[in-house]
Order: sequence, then C-alpha cells, then structure tokens
Amino acid sequence: MNTPDRKLTPAEIDAFGAELDALRARTVAKLGAEDAKYIRNIVRTVRYTEVAGRALLMAGIFPPAWILGTITLGVSKIIENMELGHNVMHAQYDWMNDPELNGQTYEWDTACTADHWRQTHNYEHHTYTNVMGKDHDIGYGVLRLFPEQKWEPRFLANPIMALLLMTLFQHLLALQSLQLEKLLSGEKTFAEVKEQAKPILKKMRKQIAKDYLLFPALAGPFFPIVFAGNVGANLIRNFWSSAIIFCGHFTEDAEVFPLESLENESRGHWYLRQLKGSSNLEGNKLMHIMSGNLSHQIEHHLFPDVPGRRYAEMSVEVREICKRYGQHYNSKPFFKQLGEVAGRILRHALPSKPSSDKPSSKKPKLVSKKASPVVREEELLAA
Amino acid sequence: MSSPRPVQFLRRAFGPLVEPAVFNFWAREVGSTASRDRVLARVTAKRAESSRAVTLELQPNRHFVGFKAGQHVNLTVEIDGRRVTRSYSLTGVPNAEGSLSLTVQKIEGGQVSAHLFSNLQVGDVVELDAAFGEMTLPETLSAPLLFLAAGSGITPLMSLTRELAQRGMPVETTLIYWARHRADLCFLSELKALAAKEPKFRFLVALTGDAAIGTDELRGRPSSELLASAVASLSSQSVYACGPAGFVEQVETLVAPIARSFQSEAFTPPTFTPAASSQTVTLMLAKSNRVVTVRSGEPLLAALEAQGIKPPSGCRMGICNTCACGKREGLSRNLKNGGENAEPEANLRICVSSAQSDLTLDL
Ligand SMILES: Cc1cc2nc3c(=O)[nH]c(=O)nc-3n(C[C@H](O)[C@H](O)[C@H](O)COP(=O)(O)OP(=O)(O)OC[C@H]3O[C@@H](n4cnc5c(N)ncnc54)[C@H](O)[C@@H]3O)c2cc1C
Ligand code: FES
Repeated sequence: MNTPDRKLTPAEIDAFGAELDALRARTVAKLGAEDAKYIRNIVRTVRYTEVAGRALLMAGIFPPAWILGTITLGVSKIIENMELGHNVMHAQYDWMNDPELNGQTYEWDTACTADHWRQTHNYEHHTYTNVMGKDHDIGYGVLRLFPEQKWEPRFLANPIMALLLMTLFQHLLALQSLQLEKLLSGEKTFAEVKEQAKPILKKMRKQIAKDYLLFPALAGPFFPIVFAGNVGANLIRNFWSSAIIFCGHFTEDAEVFPLESLENESRGHWYLRQLKGSSNLEGNKLMHIMSGNLSHQIEHHLFPDVPGRRYAEMSVEVREICKRYGQHYNSKPFFKQLGEVAGRILRHALPSKPSSDKPSSKKPKLVSKKASPVVREEELLAA
Repeated sequence: MSSPRPVQFLRRAFGPLVEPAVFNFWAREVGSTASRDRVLARVTAKRAESSRAVTLELQPNRHFVGFKAGQHVNLTVEIDGRRVTRSYSLTGVPNAEGSLSLTVQKIEGGQVSAHLFSNLQVGDVVELDAAFGEMTLPETLSAPLLFLAAGSGITPLMSLTRELAQRGMPVETTLIYWARHRADLCFLSELKALAAKEPKFRFLVALTGDAAIGTDELRGRPSSELLASAVASLSSQSVYACGPAGFVEQVETLVAPIARSFQSEAFTPPTFTPAASSQTVTLMLAKSNRVVTVRSGEPLLAALEAQGIKPPSGCRMGICNTCACGKREGLSRNLKNGGENAEPEANLRICVSSAQSDLTLDL
C-alpha cells in the first residue's frame, strides 16, 4: 500500500464531491457528434467481426481459418459485451435518444439477461460497491478475497472455483442474481429459485442454441468444427472479461467496507468509497477499448453513466483531484493487478485475519457523521 | 407498396432469426431504408419553396401506413449526435408511390427547422412516426369552405386544397394566406394557377409587412373588416384555420361564434411556464392511463410513490437508471444540476427529476 490516505474533514469531503460533480458536468456538456460516431463505429466493429469470425469458422476445416475465426468471434463478443453492451446498459448513450442504444432496452450477446444485469450490476454493485453484505460482486458468493469475509471450509477450493468461474463466466454471471449460495444456507427455497430462474434459463437456452446448434448446423458436416470454434470464442471472452472485472475491485489496494459505512453517506463519501474500492489498469488504447474502458474502473465507478470513451481524459483530472486531497489513486499495469488478484485468491483460501495496518480492516476512515447525507429525495425536496 | 414475393418469403422464413438491431444495422450499412420495426424515409428531393422555406420529398419504407390530407407526422433527425423530433404537416395528397412531401419554414434560432433547411441532403434518411391529426375533410362536402392560414400554417391547408382540386373542387373554397412579406409565401404559383383554372376556388394573400398590390392581396392582421371584405356570408362557411398560436386564437374569437363550423391547429410549440415551486402540476401516466397531481419541484419518484404508484427504482440517487422512463412532453428539471429540459426524453431518471410543468410520462 502506498502512503495512507489523508483523513478528510467533512467539509473537505463535500468539496471533493463537488469537484467531481463539476468534472462530470463539464464532460457531459461536451457530449455530441463525436461520441455518437464513436459508439456507432464500435457497433460496426462488432457486427463486421461477428460475420467475419463466423464465416472463417465455416471454413474451419483449414486450421488457420479456424484459429483466426475463433479469435475474431471471441474479440467480437468481447467488444459487444464490454464496450457496447455494458456501457450502453449503463445509459451512457441515452442522451442520443437512439432506441438501438437505449440503456433500458438493450439486450446483449451473453447468457445473462439484460434485466438481471441492470439489477445486480447497475443497481446493487454500483450503488453499494465493495460494501460487505450488499455488493454480491465481492467474490460472487463463491470466492473469498478479503480477510473481512468469514472463512468457511468451502473456500479451500478458492483457486479451483476461480478457474471455474472464469471458464463458465457468462453462465455463472447469468445465475448470479439467483444467489444460489443462499440455497445452502437455507435463506432461499428451491421453489423460489426455480421461479426466478425462468427468464434466465430462457436466455441461456437461446445463447446455447445460437452458438452451439444453429451456427454449427449451418456448417452441415463440419458441425463439430464450428461447434468447437464457438466454444473457443466463448472461452476467450469469458477469460478476458472475468480477468478485467476481477482486476477492477479485487486488487491488493482495493478496500471493502462494513455495512455501517452506508449510514448517512454523503455524495462525497460515496465518491470516496467508489475510489477506494476500484482499481485502474494501465495500457494502450486497444487495451482500453477491449476492456470496455473498465481499465478506467475508478472513473467508471465515479461516473457510471458517462460514455466510457471520455474516461481517459477525465482520469487526468481525477488523478489530480485525488492528489490534492491526498487520496490514493490505484492504477497499475494489467499484469501487475492480475498478479495481485491471484495472490488474494490463493492467500484467502486459508483462514486469514485483517491485519491492523491494512486500511480495509478498520472502519473506513471516511466515515464521518457530519458531512451532508447523500443527495436523496428529502434533500432534493428541500433544495 | 408490397414487396416482391421472394422478398416476402425470405422475410417470413428468416426474419425471426435475426435480431431487429442486427437487421437494421445491415440495412443501413447497404444504404437501404428497410427496417424491422421503424418508419424510415429517404429524402428524394429538396427544393426552395420561399425565401426561407424548403420542400422535402420523402420515400418512406413499408412501415409507414399512410395518411389523410391535412395530417402531420413527427419527424426525427440527428443533430450533433442527439435525435430530435418535431411535427410537420404533409403537404401532398396520398399517392400510389407512397411518397410524402413536407414544407419546412426556417425559424430564427430553431434547431430542427434550421437543420432541415440548411444541412439535410437528398439521400439522407430521417425517421417518421404514424400520421396524426383531425383537421381532415369529410367524405361529402356541402357547405362552402374558408381556409385561414398564417406562415407555415399553410402546409396542412395546402394539402387540403390539393385534395379538393383532385376531387374537382366540390364546393366553393376560399383560401386566405397571411405572411409578413411576399417573399415568405409558399406554393404561390400553384395556388394562383389553381385559382385561375377553378372558378370555385378563390385565393387571397394578406400581408402584414409589405404593402398589398392588386385585387387578390389584402393588408393587415385578421379583423372582422378584412374577413367581411373577403367572404360574403361568414355564417355559411366551414372554417379551417392553421398557424402560430397567437393567430389561431385571434381568428377563433373572430370567426368561431359566427361560422357554421370552426376547426383549427396551432403550430407554435407549447411554452412550458415553470410552475412556481409548491404549485401543483398534473402528471399524465400514458401507459397506465392515469392522471395524478403532484407538487412541482418534488422528485417524481417519491411523489408517485406517495400516491401509491410504485415505478421500478434502485439507487434513488440517479446512477443506476432503473427508474428511467420516457417523458413525452413537459418541462422537467434535473435536481442534481438544476438543468431544465423541455424536449421529450427517452429515459428520464425520475428519482432525481421533478416536474416544472404538467408532464406526460410513459408509466
Ligand atoms: C402539428 C404541427 C404541425 C407542424 N407543421 C409544420 C410545418 O408543416 N412546417 C413547419 O415549418 N413547421 C411546422 N410545425 C412547427 C414545427 O414542428 C417546429 O416547431 C418548428 O419547425 C420549429 O422547430 P425548431 O426545432 O426549428 O425550433 P426550436 O429550436 O424548437 O425553437 C426555437 C425558438 O423558436 C420558437 N418557435 C418554434 N416554433 C415556432 C413557430 N412555428 N413559429 C414561431 N416560433 C417558433 C420557439 O419557441 C423557440 O423560442 C408544426 C408544428 C405542429 C405542432
Ligand atoms: S433509481 Fe437509480 S437512477 Fe433512479
């Protein structure tokens, strides 16, 4: 951990929040034709790579075509899921009023239904980022990554579970909203799960039918070759997207917060929690696009509804603001962060205790009762 | 217009396998206006109609279901990355090719009219909605017709005039067309030619800026005297009026009490006067067909919940978009930054927005 964060006074926390609000307002005012053109080019890239990938797989009897086709289709799915689907579903492009880029109706090319995603990700994960007991993304109910999570013998399987999670990422993500681990603890009945699972299973069936039946069948005798190509493409997408997502919140310096941190949380506090719970990945432009700009995880968590392509320019100012307020800005190269995540997966498979000098172990320093509470209705009403 | 058989067959056989967004993308990519679900139209011609008006000819795709003379369409164009919608009247009559025409007058400082006037090119594609409007002609006509148009309000009345010409001018018809300057007048030669050819059709121009020349020109705003000089017996006329709100109100007070019937349409967009805070405003919930009153300035989500209506919600602080719903019209205010918006919006986050005027929401 770098130099510990400076403890901010309530007034400083409010000022910190106000600076970020102002940055957001400045950026939103700039949105226009350029951003529209960018996202349309992303759509175009997704459509063309999908056709190219699937066409190459049809010729997959020649190994180079199979390899190229599998990679191209994998890349297509990655860009669709991350830079297009994930970002559009965050309402980043709603200002365009384009029904095909509408955050509430967009449906993406993965097993998870867009509606469940909007609930578990947009609402729960983004509102309660890294809050224990509220943010299900902390370990997805199957991994133990922070010493603050209670150890149970099942976590001995951490490394295996992590690999399994990465391999089957699209389907497990689809099942995430069911919170199946609650079956084990008896908090949910099987009947409840069965009812909730209906739309999810429907979407999963559709994805499986498309990738593993329809397109392979179109290849006739080459069914197995195309089938294998689709498996490969989905694996590429699953590994890459899960790696990027793990790096966003499970790195060494990422912090988790107790439930109490939500009490009287002001807008400034909320921003601070997003900053401390997220980590950035350094890389080139291709890396940013391929990660759906989640390489700017900090900016994404501060401004989830601002178009991802604007995060790079915003990050310069965010970093500068953090520096002035003495707050750590967690940004490292991809492989460094990935290594730290792997370290956590291995270390916390075994019982571990929060060590006293770890910031995550304390009640977050940022809790302060005096700063104005989050802008919720009561306050808006008074304004 | 129906497509050729093989196209219909392909559509039925494979259509459901391709997602609408994917189909629409490839159609756009090959330069087609085909769409799975949307009314798209290509601009096939553009010509000047007056010093500050252009006429656009449009060829819509198969989703456009037709119109009656006198109706309007909502037209959507993209300006600086944002899609914006305005209403325009169809100036032609329904025809076999299914083509449409509309005439747009450039408004000073106007977003869409200036874009259509200056930037839109032949070959560009615009989006339309279904035609709407009640100011149409009945099947059988008996009483003489009096059309009163001002400015761009000529457009639907031009469509009605063309329909009457096509029907052989079944009744005595008088059109009075107000404009500030002679150079602002649209369709002038066509209307004059029609008046020369059809004894039952009279065409009068009324100018408020330039001086009148000749016998078919009048001068001044609508008044009892002006109308009396133009038509013998107002009480026998069925009157249709169209133009800016001020004009329509004025002729209504003059004509409606006397005329046999009176129909009108005003073009000026409603100006939403911000309600003083703590005043009550009305929310029309279009999908559930309910009307509720709330206090202006109050976050809409909380206000609706207080009335027992539970729209979906999540963070309640404007980040997750769960509560977003369409706003069809009205003035809303973003409570996070105080910004006000009078445009329709696809996704209004009601947890951090308040109503500053009456609103219509997709709830
Ligand atoms: C049913 C209906 C049919 C219409 N048919 C036509 C038509 O056939 N041809 C046509 O040109 N227009 C027509 N209009 C008007 C049109 O919809 C737009 O309002 C107009 O083009 C201005 O839009 P804008 O985006 O350019 O101006 P905006 O950017 O919306 O407004 C700019 C400023 O101009 C003012 N303004 C807006 N419209 C008018 C107006 N009509 N007269 C005076 N001031 C105005 C606004 O209050 C604002 O201050 C029709 C309107 C309706 C409701
Ligand atoms: S409830 Fe989350 S944006 Fe309104």
